[in-house]
Amino acid sequence: MDITAPISALAEIAPTAAGGADEIYCGCIPERWRSRFAAGALSRRMMGNLTSLEDLGQAVEIAHDHGKRLSLTLNQQQYDSAQMALILELAEQFAALGGDALIIADPGLLAAIDALGLGLRLHVSSVAGVRNSQAAKFHQDLGAHRIVFPRYLTLDEMAAVTAAVPELEFEAFVLNDGCLFDEAVCHTLHLPAKMGGAICMDSYALHYDRDDGAALSPEDAERLADNEKAYRRWAWHKFSCGFSTTEDGLPYGPCGLCALSGLARAGVTIAKIAGRESPTGRKLKSLEMTVGVRDRLAEPATARRFAQALRRRPDYCAERYMCSYPDALLADDLEITA
Amino acid sequence: MTAKPDLAVALSEVPERRAAPAGFDGRLVTRVHFGNEFCDRLIPSPARLQKALDWAQSHGLTVSLATPGVTEDGLAQLCKLFPLLPEKSEVIVNDWGTARLLCADFPTLEPVAGRQLCKMIKDPRLPSRSWRAVSPPGMRAGAFQAVLDRLGIRRLEADVPPLAAPEDFAPLGKRLSVHAAIGYATKGRVCKIGALARPRAEKFTAGLACRRECLTFAAAMDRRAATADEPPTFQRGNTVFYHHTPAMTEALHQATQRGWVDRIIIPGDWHGHHRAD
Repeated sequence: MDITAPISALAEIAPTAAGGADEIYCGCIPERWRSRFAAGALSRRMMGNLTSLEDLGQAVEIAHDHGKRLSLTLNQQQYDSAQMALILELAEQFAALGGDALIIADPGLLAAIDALGLGLRLHVSSVAGVRNSQAAKFHQDLGAHRIVFPRYLTLDEMAAVTAAVPELEFEAFVLNDGCLFDEAVCHTLHLPAKMGGAICMDSYALHYDRDDGAALSPEDAERLADNEKAYRRWAWHKFSCGFSTTEDGLPYGPCGLCALSGLARAGVTIAKIAGRESPTGRKLKSLEMTVGVRDRLAEPATARRFAQALRRRPDYCAERYMCSYPDALLADDLEITA
Repeated sequence: MTAKPDLAVALSEVPERRAAPAGFDGRLVTRVHFGNEFCDRLIPSPARLQKALDWAQSHGLTVSLATPGVTEDGLAQLCKLFPLLPEKSEVIVNDWGTARLLCADFPTLEPVAGRQLCKMIKDPRLPSRSWRAVSPPGMRAGAFQAVLDRLGIRRLEADVPPLAAPEDFAPLGKRLSVHAAIGYATKGRVCKIGALARPRAEKFTAGLACRRECLTFAAAMDRRAATADEPPTFQRGNTVFYHHTPAMTEALHQATQRGWVDRIIIPGDWHGHHRAD
């Protein structure tokens, strides 16, 4: 199992490589883009990007000096023609700099870049929402070499896709960044906090009604309130347990570490650590955790126990709301160990 | 393009009486969009689809099958439905895999790119139109159109985005269907209301076996930072919807008057905050 890890600054590349990542990915918003599309998003993350082609070239060089591949994210859901023209130039420049792969969500962009014949590997972002074998083949038809699975797929669902299209590589999330909705079909913005922030974190109060027009029974009201309370608890886990860490800096939040052997059995060969916008320490601790589990995969039970003991919070694992692949736990009825 | 668009109504169930809401621009519905775009738990059984086809035929209505994003299991369910559809029937696809499958294995059916494939910013909280420039719609991009051509897609569906202008619907080289009255802003695979009956540890997981609670409950959504002219928002099932404001309705009306909109889709029994009777 290879590990792909994020960076947002040149200084993060060496420690990420030394920490055991096999691939490194980053965003880049060069001056030319900023001058033409002031507010335009070049990738799915507005922050945490390199800011010049010079830096991008250095990033490739540093990564290669450490024997690692470097991928560039161009994974907004969609682009208009003017944006796409500039992105094609950027793709050519990235290829000339010696970059290794592009991470793309827009199928039009994928096909257009493939047509350029740049020799780059093309990875389909989780933002494309590929959940079935025909969708994987569709992107393969357009030039894809790899599919990054979106969140909220079961291991069996992934296995069905990987078995049907064995010539593609498959990558899946193992840590961080818990979108509550589906990135492929979430058409909202992460607004400034005073305007509400991300829609899944906004301060919405929900008022339930029955479609038949009848009033909610006391039992209905109680069940709905309990469900809302559980949902808020689940969201808190997905948002890194209040964006907290252990005392030694290990991040809480969406976690698929103890499912790593299950992911491997499902045909996933690359484990993705999310969090381009995170502080350097959080990125490196995430990598440390993932490498620790990966290095024990020869003995899956040992790897699983190691993963579940990392943060010394068996109660969080037992609650299962932090878990990215709870089906792995439910299917095996695993004992959570401290 | 026609100055007066066709009217379709979106239904997930066969109604007891004819669903032909007269009065929308003085014309009657001629088509039913049957099925569900948002959840594979709501894909109709072959028997239900056949019942809908029979009902529609008896009322002189044409059926388009609406389909959601799907996993492998969902694709298998859809494969049982496609042979039931008459030749040249429309299938509204919200998953590139479904589109590819139709193109390869069911070439007599007409794929339509659903609104989940025709992406644009639709955040109901945005204070001004300029915010949408962060990520402009991609439907007009030549490369995207080429992908649609490759799949034999000749019709697109779109929502009316908050802060819409008539120009949002200007000609794009394909027939355009637009959803009236209600748009969707975001959806998840995890379904909050679908977890209602599940034990706590099994709630909010992928592939949950829900009891289709979305057919019973919907929730109005209010937030502290809302502005006065923010579109009313609600959640049904795994999806957050917004009601059109008068300004959005006017933008669609003007686009329609200019002949840019080929079909208007009226929300039916599932999309609204209260189910239609």
